[in-house]
Amino acid sequence: MSDQSASTPLSPHLQIWRWTVTLFCSITHRATGMAMYAGTILLTIWLAAAATGEAAFNTVQGIYTSPFGLIVLFGYTWALFFHLLNGIRHFVWDAGYGFSIPASRGSAWAVVGGSLALTVAVWSAVFMLGGN
Amino acid sequence: MVELTLPRNSKINSKGKSYKGEKSASSDKAPEMRTFKIYRSDPDSGENPRVDTYEIDVSDVSMVLDALIRIKDTLDPTVTFRRSCREGVCGSCAMNINGANTLACTKGMDECGSGDVAIYPLPHQPVVKDLVTDLSKFYEQHAAIEPFLQSDDEPEKEHIQSHEDREKLDGLYECILCACCSTSCPSYWWNGDKDDGNEYLGPAALLQAYRWLQDSRDDEKSKRLDYLDDNFRLYRCHTIFNCTSVCPKGLNPAEAIAGIKRMMVERAK
Repeated sequence: MSDQSASTPLSPHLQIWRWTVTLFCSITHRATGMAMYAGTILLTIWLAAAATGEAAFNTVQGIYTSPFGLIVLFGYTWALFFHLLNGIRHFVWDAGYGFSIPASRGSAWAVVGGSLALTVAVWSAVFMLGGN
Repeated sequence: MVELTLPRNSKINSKGKSYKGEKSASSDKAPEMRTFKIYRSDPDSGENPRVDTYEIDVSDVSMVLDALIRIKDTLDPTVTFRRSCREGVCGSCAMNINGANTLACTKGMDECGSGDVAIYPLPHQPVVKDLVTDLSKFYEQHAAIEPFLQSDDEPEKEHIQSHEDREKLDGLYECILCACCSTSCPSYWWNGDKDDGNEYLGPAALLQAYRWLQDSRDDEKSKRLDYLDDNFRLYRCHTIFNCTSVCPKGLNPAEAIAGIKRMMVERAK
């Protein structure tokens, strides 16, 4: 009865849905996928600046290591790890495993926790070993 | 199309009414008052939907459907919902209770937490009245996957099937077409009803498609796969898992759809 849609109301959907971790991982997989486009542009700018010369590199490096720049880089790192781990989750599904409710929820929580842990680990290493 | 907000005529207004019930006459227990917030919509009135509040004694109520019937009996006879078997085999009373789709008749009051119980129709569907949605599209999609045996054999009696082959249908044939799964799926919300041919069939129809693909007696596997091999019909499934989370029969449409995707890969080898 789509021809009656002018008068027939549409029932609420996102407005009333109770979120689950599997739903969160699905939408976040897409969001982090898009965020990585932006992150790749940042990486390209950094490399291009390094190839251009010291002055350009120092400018870009200065922006990236500012507090705001570091927050962006931290987010980019997390997006990368989230997408990577959730991608592995999809790969396992494609092979035909992990479809029970406990497995799907457990793997979702593992992706959330794992991506955060890996991000913290990488940046701890950067600050401890890099010492720029 | 992804539309995160509701159309203008579907937004919930603030004109909801409140009703307060009394202690249940049939209960010998201490009264246990519970608040239900129920979506109300009457397209004939020309008004936008509203949410009415009902307070009733649930001390002798076990299932949400019983509570709805008490509300209709004692407080407001205009509350409209479908129900029939009251034991989870007909699928009529599928609705959204506290943010997840389920059957009101098998959803226990003890599973509803301690706060208000919010009851809405199945999400992202045309509302006929209150909790009754128009499932014409959903049934069309079920018909589209040709849910019947198509065999080249014409046996004198029945089509013979081994025990092992019959077991492959367990977890697939039990579907009661209540639409909980399809209307829980964001992909189905955005792509389940489109006139341009780019339409997602939804978890329920795909689970049934897989049920016939798995049937050893069926000879039209290749034709069935041809129909499903489509960016939208099949591949709008992103394994979000809402379908499997809500299925009141404990079936696993997400796994069935992944099974179809694997069959596509295997036949392309």
